[in-house]
Amino acid sequence: METLISLTDVGVRYRRKGNIIRRPSYYQALKSITLDINRGESLGILGKNGAGKSTLLRVISGVLRPDQGKVVNNGHSVSLLALQAGFDPVLSGRENAILSGMLQGLTRREITSKLGEIHDYAEIGDFFFEPVRTYSTGMRARLGFSIATITRPDVLLIDEVLSVGDQEFRKKSERTLASKIRSGQSVVLVTHSLVQTRLLCDRVVSIEDGMAHEAGDLKAVSL
Amino acid sequence: MTPESSFDWPQESMRAGNWSQAAERWGVIRKAYPDHPAPWFQCINAHLEANELEAVDPLLAIAIERFPNHPSSTIQPALLAMKRENWESAKDLLDQARQIHSGNAQTWTSCATLALHDNNFDEASRCQWRAVECSPTQANLLMRYAELAMDAERFDEALRRWEILRERFPEFPQGYKRASEAARALGDHETARDLLLAHQYGNDFIESDESTDTHVRRQPQSPLARLLGLVWTKAVFNLRSEVRRNYLSFGWWILEPLMYMVVYMVVFDVLLNRGGENYSMLLMTGLIPWMWTMKAISTSSVSILGGQNLMLQTGVHPIFFPLVMLLQATIKQIPVFILLVGFVWFNGSTPGLHWLAVIPIFIVQALFTAGFSLAVAAVIPFLRDLTNLVPTGLTLLMFLSGIFYDYKFIDEKWHDLFLMNPVAYLLTCYRDVFLDHTTPDFYSLAWRGIVFAAVCGLMVMCYHKLRYVYPRKVME
Repeated sequence: METLISLTDVGVRYRRKGNIIRRPSYYQALKSITLDINRGESLGILGKNGAGKSTLLRVISGVLRPDQGKVVNNGHSVSLLALQAGFDPVLSGRENAILSGMLQGLTRREITSKLGEIHDYAEIGDFFFEPVRTYSTGMRARLGFSIATITRPDVLLIDEVLSVGDQEFRKKSERTLASKIRSGQSVVLVTHSLVQTRLLCDRVVSIEDGMAHEAGDLKAVSL
Repeated sequence: MTPESSFDWPQESMRAGNWSQAAERWGVIRKAYPDHPAPWFQCINAHLEANELEAVDPLLAIAIERFPNHPSSTIQPALLAMKRENWESAKDLLDQARQIHSGNAQTWTSCATLALHDNNFDEASRCQWRAVECSPTQANLLMRYAELAMDAERFDEALRRWEILRERFPEFPQGYKRASEAARALGDHETARDLLLAHQYGNDFIESDESTDTHVRRQPQSPLARLLGLVWTKAVFNLRSEVRRNYLSFGWWILEPLMYMVVYMVVFDVLLNRGGENYSMLLMTGLIPWMWTMKAISTSSVSILGGQNLMLQTGVHPIFFPLVMLLQATIKQIPVFILLVGFVWFNGSTPGLHWLAVIPIFIVQALFTAGFSLAVAAVIPFLRDLTNLVPTGLTLLMFLSGIFYDYKFIDEKWHDLFLMNPVAYLLTCYRDVFLDHTTPDFYSLAWRGIVFAAVCGLMVMCYHKLRYVYPRKVME
């Protein structure tokens, strides 16, 4: 199986800003993470709040560089699924779709060619042309997800995105993700849902105390 | 009321696996229907499941006597023998049952159990399959057939058997879930996943074209071109957003400098009587260029801090944020500059070829504004206290740039020093063109342009170097 991204002994620490009274301190978010992300594989990442899951995704996506260890990515595109990235509430759903799509790496022409599909998938009707500030939370989630699904990086990172929105949306987004996984898309999914993990993930890693633990047998996975 | 209608009560206990209770309940039913075989043999079954073997003997003796031709009269003694690990006796009894009751499913399931004791998987499978054939509507028989393969770790065979269960009894989740486990045990994660998805979303999902790739085909474009396209789009959309928030829309772009002009006119020309001739022209040629630089710097200064979420979500280059602010301020400046030109023309300054000098002045001011804005924006995330100094600094710069006064009124010994201020120098250039009808010193303008361009280049290199530092810095 082809390895797309490889993390070896990766550690990340954050600096807590000091001031004239207090000296700066450091927080070790990840201690020593070693894992591979393979082509066509869906990897689940579990862990409690504050375990370092989001930090791990940022390292994988290249937004953050680790303080120790190395990340090897031989030119594969990685995208963190970001709902409502760059959304401006005054602008219409259509305009926000263009902007958000461009922020996720598409050109203006590319995203414009897909506006019809985004509109159809979001199922928000004429609201697509209205300011986003008039949307319900569920509508925003639908629009955000529909924009995000248009991109197809080599590795797609998802940070608990499937837990937002109403029940209908959650089912739809889960189904879309399942479809992506079936098509061979490599996915890294952070979720608190054991059901989603079992349904969508080939392999599971749990993050605890800044370390990654393989939990290959999904029956043994507990939250 | 038929006897069968009362059987639900003890059968409920059997379904719940509460065998002792089931046996008691069958005992009650038996008293009501002593001539019906079910209360007898089901009660015996319940006792056997509960391992209450002492209770079985007397009941079985009576049941055999009452119902000698019933299949259970032969099978249940065999089951009892198996429970007592009397395998030879069980084998003999089941051989008889096969002869006499070959069409009874329980005969064959009991034979399967006996074969399992002998670790004869193939024989157990054959017997269990015969049971399925005898009673094709009983899903549990087919499930046991598949479970035999799972227990024997013959997962490929188990997959085939689960498929049969799915075809005949699609409502049973085991056909999908246990099959998924079998596939996973074989290392076929794709099939394992597909089975779970089929259970969740239906077989249509697996068979449909939903997995067809309909995503965007990426067009080759350099990262720089993408970044610039994004900056342009974001700046234009920000302006749209700004315009839509206000009732007067674009009007504020023009009104704002005019309002400032009125304020300074009232203060310096009317109240202090320091304006002088053509003060409004002097003021406009200073104020309008200054407001462009001032807005660009003040909005850029906190742009990286303000873009924290976006930077962490999308990994956009940190230079994106001050560039957007810069472009926004510049776009807003265009109609205002047109206003300036119109105002100057209206006030008697005839346009001529010398007005073309405004173009290089504008370019040099753009380079200065860009360099300064990028520098301030670059530093603020490291020294956030400077955020408080930016407004004060801009105010100081405003007063030291000759916006509402002509620098020539200052003592001559300070002129050279005064003109080292880039803003002051640029304003004198604009005034040379619009008020004095001359061109500026192009040599001075050129070397300043080169310096500002170098600063811009240096800032771009800095941003490139600090690209992965900023996402950390903004999180502190």
